[in-house]
Amino acid sequence: MRKDNMVAMILAGGRGSRLYDLTKKVAKPAVHFGGKYRIIDFPLSNCANSGVSVVGVLTQYENVLLNSYVARDQHWGLDSKDGGVFVLSPREKDGAGFGLYQGTADAITQNIDFLDQMEAEYVLILSGDHIYKMDYDLMLEEHKKNQADCTIAVLQVTLKEATRFGIMNTNENDEIIEFEEKPKNPKSNLASMGIYIFSYKTFKKILISDDKNPESSHDFGNDIIPALLAENKKIMAYRFKGYWKDVGTVDSLWESNLDLLKPNNRLDLGDTSWKIYTEDNDSLPHIIGDYGSVNNAYVNQGSIINGYVENSVIFSGVVIEKGARVVDSVIMPGVTVKENASITRCIVQEDVTILANKVHGDGDNAPIKLVTKKNSKEV
Amino acid sequence: MDKILGIVNFESDEVNIAGLSDYRTINTISFMGRYRLIDFVLSNMSNSGIENIQVYTKKSSRSIFEHIGRGSQYNINPKRGKLSILPADSNYSNDVYNHDIGCFTQYLKMIKDSPMSYVVIAPSYFVYNIDFAQVLKHHMEEKNDITMIYKNSDSAKNYYLGCDTLIFDETGRVEKIEKNLGKFKKRNISLEAYVMSKNYFVELIEKAAEMSELYTLRDIIEDQFTVAKVCGYSLKSEVCCINSLSAYLRTSLDLKNAENISVIFKNNWPILTRTSDSAPTHYTESAYVKSSLISNGCYIEGEVENCVIGRNVVVKKGAVVKNCVLLADSYIGENAKLENVIVDKEAIVNHVKKLNGQIDAPLYVKKFGRI
Repeated sequence: MRKDNMVAMILAGGRGSRLYDLTKKVAKPAVHFGGKYRIIDFPLSNCANSGVSVVGVLTQYENVLLNSYVARDQHWGLDSKDGGVFVLSPREKDGAGFGLYQGTADAITQNIDFLDQMEAEYVLILSGDHIYKMDYDLMLEEHKKNQADCTIAVLQVTLKEATRFGIMNTNENDEIIEFEEKPKNPKSNLASMGIYIFSYKTFKKILISDDKNPESSHDFGNDIIPALLAENKKIMAYRFKGYWKDVGTVDSLWESNLDLLKPNNRLDLGDTSWKIYTEDNDSLPHIIGDYGSVNNAYVNQGSIINGYVENSVIFSGVVIEKGARVVDSVIMPGVTVKENASITRCIVQEDVTILANKVHGDGDNAPIKLVTKKNSKEV
Repeated sequence: MDKILGIVNFESDEVNIAGLSDYRTINTISFMGRYRLIDFVLSNMSNSGIENIQVYTKKSSRSIFEHIGRGSQYNINPKRGKLSILPADSNYSNDVYNHDIGCFTQYLKMIKDSPMSYVVIAPSYFVYNIDFAQVLKHHMEEKNDITMIYKNSDSAKNYYLGCDTLIFDETGRVEKIEKNLGKFKKRNISLEAYVMSKNYFVELIEKAAEMSELYTLRDIIEDQFTVAKVCGYSLKSEVCCINSLSAYLRTSLDLKNAENISVIFKNNWPILTRTSDSAPTHYTESAYVKSSLISNGCYIEGEVENCVIGRNVVVKKGAVVKNCVLLADSYIGENAKLENVIVDKEAIVNHVKKLNGQIDAPLYVKKFGRI
C-alpha cells in the first residue's frame, strides 16, 4: 500500500563504544535484545507497522553483519513491491574519492540522490539503537496538520536526567523555540528522542547549505536544528508517552532487558497488534528439562534449561546445565552454562561457554558484569 | 536435484486422529509446538534439494493454504522452484471415491508437463529425516521400477499399529503387504513413501483409474509386485508415526526431552516452518515448570510438567497441567487441573476445574471449546 511518500532513514553507523566487547565486531544496532531481537528490529518493525515502506539504513562501523541482516527485508514484511530496505554505506564518488560519513547529517547529505530517486516528500530520521514502539504515521499526521518544516519526537524526563539529553524548549503550542544539547541548567524537561520528520524540500536545502559550511560538525542536534531555528522554520515537538530507552551502556542494556520481566511492562512485546519482527531461526521450541526451573524469566525458542533460572532473559540456543544458577542476568544466543556454574547480575556475550563450577558476578547492588570470551575463564 | 518432482500424498484411510482432524487436514495438525506435520516431509524434500513439490490434499482447507503460502519458508527458490497445493474435487458422492489416484488423475496434466524425470511420493503423517537424493541414487543403481521406503522396527507390537508392513521374498523383492496388528515385535513398516520414474508413475495412475474407481496408489503398486521390480529401501533413522490421537499424545510426550528430540531435530537437517513472530515466553514468579517443551509467546503462571505447549498459550495461577499437549492460543484458567488432555487451538478451560484422560485414551478439548 502506497501512502504519503515518507522515506525512513535509520542512522545505524555508530559503534556504541560503551558496550565494549558487545560491539567489537558488530555495530550497536545489531546488538541482541529481549531474548530474540536485535536492537534495529525495533525501528524496522515500527516502520513496517506504521506503513513506511521505503527504509534506508545508513551503516558504517563494522557493517558486514548489519548489512546482510537488514537487507533481508522479508523478515519485517518490508519486501513489498514498492518498498524495501536499502543499505546505504559510504561509497566512492567521482572526483571526491572515498569519504566516510562525517556526522549524522552528513550521512543523509551523502544520500540525497537516494531520497530524490525515491521521490521523498517527507523524510523520517531514526536512530538504529533505541528500544521503543511508535506509530510514525500518527507523527506524520501531526506534522502535516501543523504545517511544520520539522517535527521532533520528545520524551518527558526528570530535570536531573535532562542534563544528559538534547533538550527542546517550547512555547505554549509545543513549537520549539530553542534547542540545548546536554544543558547544565535545563529550562525544560522535553528530551529529543532522535526521531525527526522533515519536509523534504526544506530539508534538502538545509542539508546542502550545511554541507558547504566549513564550521559545521554535520550533526542533527548541533547543526541542522539550530540552522532551521536560525531561519525561523517551524519546528514542532511531538510528545511521546510510551516506553523508550537508549541502550548505550552495559547497565542500560541490562536494565532494559530486565524491564521485560516486570508485570505490566510498558514495552509489552506480546502485543499482537504491534509485533516486533526479527529473523526466525530454525530452532525448536525451548525445553525445560527434568532438573530445570524457571522463575520470572523470559525464554526464547531453541534453548535448553536444566538448571535454575530466576529473573533473567534467555536467548535462543542457550544451554543451562544441571545445577547451574542464572540469576538477574541476560544470557545471549548460543551461550552454554555448564554444570554448577553460577551467574549473577551479568550480561553473557554470544557463544561464550561458562565452565563448570565457575562463578560470575555478585548479588545485590554489584555493578553489572559483562562476561566475554576473554574474561569468562579468568578467576 | 533438478530431476525430482516431490509429491506429498494423502494419508491412508486408517489414519484417524480423532478430534484434531475434524478441524483441519491431517497434514496441518500442530506438532511439537511450532510445527505442523507437513513441515517434516516438506523439510525432507527441501533439504534433499527438491524444489518442485506438489501437495495433494483430501479437502481444500484454509489451514493448508495459510500455513504453506508461497513456500518461501521451506527454502524453495521462488523463481525456479514451485510448491503447489492441489486439493481434491469436493463433489464426490461418497468419500470412498476421494482417494489419491482420483486426485492425481485430476491434476494428471500437471504431472505429465513437469520436466522432472523422477517422482518421490510421501505422506505427511510419518515424522523422520531422510535424504531423498540418496534414495534416488539407490533406486537408480538397483534399476528398480519402484523403491518402497520402509523402517525395520523391533517395536511393532506397540507402535505403528495399523500401518502397512512389507514382506520380502528371498531375492529382496517386495512380495506382499500386510497390516501391522501388533502381533509381532519385528516388522518392516512401510512409510508409504515411493521413488519411481515419472513416466512409470503416470502409467500407474492411468492403469489404476482403468482398473477400478476405488483403486488407490497402494493398490496399484501391490499389483506390480509380480510383474515389476519393486524393492525396499531401509531407513536407518528413527521414525514416528502419528496415526491416532493416542499415538499423537504419546509421540509428543516421548519427544519432548532434549535427548529424544535430537534424533529428529539435527543441526544439519533443519525442520522448516512458518514463523508467527511471537515474543519469547514469559514465566512469572509463581511458575513451576519442568520436563516440558514450550513454544514462544506463552505466559505461564501455573504448574507445568511433562507437557508440549504451542504458541501463545496462557496457564494461569494455580493451574496444574501434566502430560498434556496444549495447542496454540489455548487458555488454562486459574486452579484448573489437567492430566493426559489434548487442548485444541483457542480453547478455554476455565469453569471445569478437573480434566483427567488416560495416556492411551486422552481427553480432547475441541477447537474454540469453552469449558
